[in-house]
Amino acid sequence: MTQRAADPSGASEDALPWQTYICNACGLIYDEEEGDVDGGLAPGTRFADIPEDWACPLCGVRKDDFVPYQQIAAGSGNAATGFPESRVADIVPDTFHPTRSGGRTRMLGKVDGVVIVGAGRAGWEVAQAVRRRDPEIPITLVTGCAGDRYDKPLLSIAHAKAIPPQAMVRERGLDAARRLQVHLLSDTFASGLSPESHQLRTTRGSLYYRKLVLAQGARPRQFDALPAASCWRINDLDTYRHLRERLATDGNQGRDIIVVGAGLVGCELTNDLAIAGHRITLVDVSATPLSSLLPPPAAAALLHAWKDLPIRFVGKVEVAGVATDGVRRILHANDGRIFTADHIISATGLEVDRALADSAGLAWQDGIAVDASTMATSAPDVFALGDCITIDGTASRYIEPILRQAQAIAGMITGIDPVPYVQRPSPLRIKTSSCNLQLDGMPAAHGSWRIDTEHAPTASGTQLCMSQWTGNTLQARLTVGN
Amino acid sequence: MLANTMPGNVLGVGRVAITAELARAASNGSPGAIAVTADPANTARASRETVLAATREIANGSLAEVVDACDRDGFYPRDVLQALGRAGAMSAHLDMPERPADFGTTIAAMAEAGRICGATGFMMWCHAVCGLYMQASGNPALNGAALARHAAGETLGGTGMSNPMKTFAGIENMLLKARCTALGYVVSGNLPWVSNLGPDHYFGAVCAVLDADGVAQPGKEIMFMIRCDAPGVTLRDCPSFSGMEGTGTYAVALKEYLVGADDLIADPVRPFIGRIKAAFILLQTGMGLGVVQGAIDSIWRVEQQLGAVNAYLEDRPDPLQDELDLLTGRIMTLATTPFATGDAYLRQVLDARAHVSELALRAAQSALLHQGARGYLMTSDVQRRVRESHFVAIVTPALKHLRKELARLSATPIPA
Repeated sequence: MTQRAADPSGASEDALPWQTYICNACGLIYDEEEGDVDGGLAPGTRFADIPEDWACPLCGVRKDDFVPYQQIAAGSGNAATGFPESRVADIVPDTFHPTRSGGRTRMLGKVDGVVIVGAGRAGWEVAQAVRRRDPEIPITLVTGCAGDRYDKPLLSIAHAKAIPPQAMVRERGLDAARRLQVHLLSDTFASGLSPESHQLRTTRGSLYYRKLVLAQGARPRQFDALPAASCWRINDLDTYRHLRERLATDGNQGRDIIVVGAGLVGCELTNDLAIAGHRITLVDVSATPLSSLLPPPAAAALLHAWKDLPIRFVGKVEVAGVATDGVRRILHANDGRIFTADHIISATGLEVDRALADSAGLAWQDGIAVDASTMATSAPDVFALGDCITIDGTASRYIEPILRQAQAIAGMITGIDPVPYVQRPSPLRIKTSSCNLQLDGMPAAHGSWRIDTEHAPTASGTQLCMSQWTGNTLQARLTVGN
Repeated sequence: MLANTMPGNVLGVGRVAITAELARAASNGSPGAIAVTADPANTARASRETVLAATREIANGSLAEVVDACDRDGFYPRDVLQALGRAGAMSAHLDMPERPADFGTTIAAMAEAGRICGATGFMMWCHAVCGLYMQASGNPALNGAALARHAAGETLGGTGMSNPMKTFAGIENMLLKARCTALGYVVSGNLPWVSNLGPDHYFGAVCAVLDADGVAQPGKEIMFMIRCDAPGVTLRDCPSFSGMEGTGTYAVALKEYLVGADDLIADPVRPFIGRIKAAFILLQTGMGLGVVQGAIDSIWRVEQQLGAVNAYLEDRPDPLQDELDLLTGRIMTLATTPFATGDAYLRQVLDARAHVSELALRAAQSALLHQGARGYLMTSDVQRRVRESHFVAIVTPALKHLRKELARLSATPIPA
């Protein structure tokens, strides 16, 4: 390239401002004021006076390869660098702006389509619903487990039915991924989310999504008094499999098991393990089992149905801590009572792990807050469903809504077949097989119940129907018995 | 730049300090060109700006002059570090009688220096966590005047915690071992790489404690200060690294080293580490944030000439800067509660630290691609920064360690 330095005609050379020239090969800037002392050019050597045999001190090209260079004045743009604020758009000629329409957007090649966190029912339902609508869109599913598909309610009833854990897998994660053309990242945990850059960080590197779906579920609540190192928390097939294996290696005889927490999961596990032949001590802070759902007559009916099973319910127990004598676990209550068993299962309720949501600053209301019809979170292009969400601050951790939530999200993501989610109460069937309980409607926590029909206990069980009313409105109906 | 589009006081001082305002001041050659008012609400901010303005001046002045020698010739920038100490750049996170602790300022100051020289950012971290050990020890001999001298950079310290941290994570075994004698603990063993050391330096370390039969007692360790000039301590030169040679990094051999009561930091160690672990990791982010900003600076330096063709690269400077600003904001928020307990906080710190490594690698790689052949010159600052970014990702806690720990904390434990 030829030299194109402006000719300082007319004026006295000393009066002219110093010029700078840039090397087209390496970017070295020649400043007339500084010269190139090492290269034999004294400070103040004008570019025009540089001998032809002078070479760029960095790359060795000759002065012909230098062109005038004018640093854009600081203050006219980004003061940090002296470059204009609009940067690319100002510098790049109009015909050269592949990133101009989204100068702050990453190249599309790095964007991974739909990314789903969690391979429980919710995660797979979304994958399926999206794939049904769009056969092409890339779907990546991130899960901390193997991603095997199974019916979670089985965890509460499989032992009594002698269903081996391996038979509970309906479809292996790998097979489901192949069937749905999903990129499955198993044994991978999502660790951080940056909605602004559409980046999901995981323990195997970062993913870039176009749309993100959080289906991370809820996990058993953690209490210091019930340390994870000595108490089981049954919330996934993998842990359940370990428990079953442990119970089997213990000699397949009945074991002594303490279940802490007489909520839904605690009562269902108690029922299942007892029918399978284990001796259960079920403890709870309340005086009766399922106290938040069942009025006293129904709780009494449940206890009555359990009377021939190896189940001992102990109410008003506040756990102080757990110890071991090397073989057995010892549970200490605050009032000094001591319970001993081979295993302790903690079933003290569920909570949502909020680390991921917090890293992204997602709106939170005892769970990831989502829009009631679109399942959109507070961050753009991020949706959530299932056990990790709340709608107006309320969680609903049942299967049926998940299926409709997945359809709503798939409709939103693909723009095909939109089906807004409609919140409605799900009937609740409590899987205590020795005493079936079904709850319809939304009972108020402290509402009063009335008995509609009641039959004396018989060999086939009790029969009890109760209802809760607010004024003339039926709030909930409860059926107890077989 | 995102920071330019939002009012500074909404962002929290951190993000502004590291990016827009600092950059502006550096470019104008007018450090501290930030309005500082007498409003009491702005006191913390003003104090931070004072420290950062002084840090910036050192970074762009005496540090910039020695950065290459520091990277490749093994030059240890003692004077620079001590100047940074005098400027308060390595001590804002310590509680002092005259002011409360402010982790954000120490992190931001490391970023300022790291923007010019990653090695110096790293040494500031070494010194800063050493001060954290001293303060958290509660040992009067390591607080008071000793801590004040440390805080001011009159004396310099490092950290030898890589091996114990990895031991606690189940990755390595403890290299130093102590016998309990009538005089106190007597320690022997070798640590391969300990940084920010010199003949008159000191550093925090952990050893296993042996029982009478010479067997390590499970879970029994002590944490203590090692004085490099004390009997039984030998510093040995390490084989050359690919960069960052001037970090005062030595192999340390201990032979019958006596730990006096004045140098005891913690016994037992694990609860102590549990208390400071998140703060330890969080402080280290400053080094990496600086390396990222330095890499982005290098990209802008060629934008005018090469922008037309660089527009075809991914990781352009604008999105990189946005990502850096948001990450800095997250870190500054985490820095307001450095001693928060619970796994949820620790996981966010680990995630932020991992993000720093990922971003440093991407930004440095991108800077090299943006600069092209000139960035491939051995003398190029981009070349140096690529090596610095590698260091950010491999120094303990390395990216892989962070992810392993995140996976461990995220998994459902199976009872024993």
